[in-house]
Amino acid sequence: MTLVELTLYFMLLSLISVGGMPSVLPELQRYAVDVKGWMTPDDFIQVFAVGQAAPGPNVLIASLVGWKVAGLPGALLALAAMCGPAAVLAWWVAEAWDRFKDTPWRRAIQRAIAPVVVALILSGGFILATPAAPDWRLWAIAAASAVGMLISKANPLWFLAAGGAIGGFLLA
Amino acid sequence: MNVAPPKTLGELFFGFLSIGARSFGGVMPWAHRVMVEERRWVTEADFAETIGLCQFLPGPNIGNASIVYGKRWFGLAGALVAFLGLFALPFVWVLALFALYADFAATNATLRAVVTGVGAAGAGLFIGTAIKLGRVLVRRPAALILITGCFLAAGIGRVSLFVLLPVSFACALLAARRGWL
Repeated sequence: MTLVELTLYFMLLSLISVGGMPSVLPELQRYAVDVKGWMTPDDFIQVFAVGQAAPGPNVLIASLVGWKVAGLPGALLALAAMCGPAAVLAWWVAEAWDRFKDTPWRRAIQRAIAPVVVALILSGGFILATPAAPDWRLWAIAAASAVGMLISKANPLWFLAAGGAIGGFLLA
Repeated sequence: MNVAPPKTLGELFFGFLSIGARSFGGVMPWAHRVMVEERRWVTEADFAETIGLCQFLPGPNIGNASIVYGKRWFGLAGALVAFLGLFALPFVWVLALFALYADFAATNATLRAVVTGVGAAGAGLFIGTAIKLGRVLVRRPAALILITGCFLAAGIGRVSLFVLLPVSFACALLAARRGWL
């Protein structure tokens, strides 16, 4: 039953995941933690951290949530469900979208989506850095890596590594 | 620059496999390196345009790009092969890493602290990305209002995205049609 629910949920999430995984993290956290109680807020940030540190598309966070809920079948189904409906859409839309390159409504859609996606990514970052009560240590690490990525072009893995090292000192 | 698409499904598979295999710290730079620079499957402009499209479609950007390119070159078989090649190794690695982590985390508080630190840094990367993308947008008051409103609803109010997205997108579209965005 959980597997069916997990799959259906990720299929729906797939269809509204404009901007990719970062935009749907607030929603995924709300559902997995607040609504379903599949994991604690602290577990969620751990799952996210492993997903970010491992190589590969960050949509794999979905498969980690699936893994935590229902093992290997959960991981496979979550990933397939998170990618499938969007992939079908990409299959059909790609060429049509190309044809309408210069139409005003396409430009309107592009301009409309941008601020919404920015707000959702910002919300994802805020929620992950605030798993329970506000904690200055998590906010400090998040702020430092945000500033770091804005002023340098280093591989993001360095910021994750630095965050891990600081976390080991501050949070243990 | 001379570009030539992959000639066989095998070539397509291994190209995407090598993107997934090496994508530490983000997939997009590696996709660019493999497809544009190393294998010369597509031109710079083609790559930028396809990624741009995939960013506006729902779903993982690079996953969608694998579908679009796979379809263009080999139809349905190509889309499936490119997608599987891209995800095969990262899927195994992320599960292995998580299994390893779960084994040790139960008894080791320091490890949990380190991983939480990594998570907080990852959250910071999201915030940095949002600032980078949002900087140009917020010169328009309507965009600033939209961003603030959506952030308050999703980040603080914990409103479901299934409600928030249609509502905010409708407002944004209205604003865009009036030339406010």
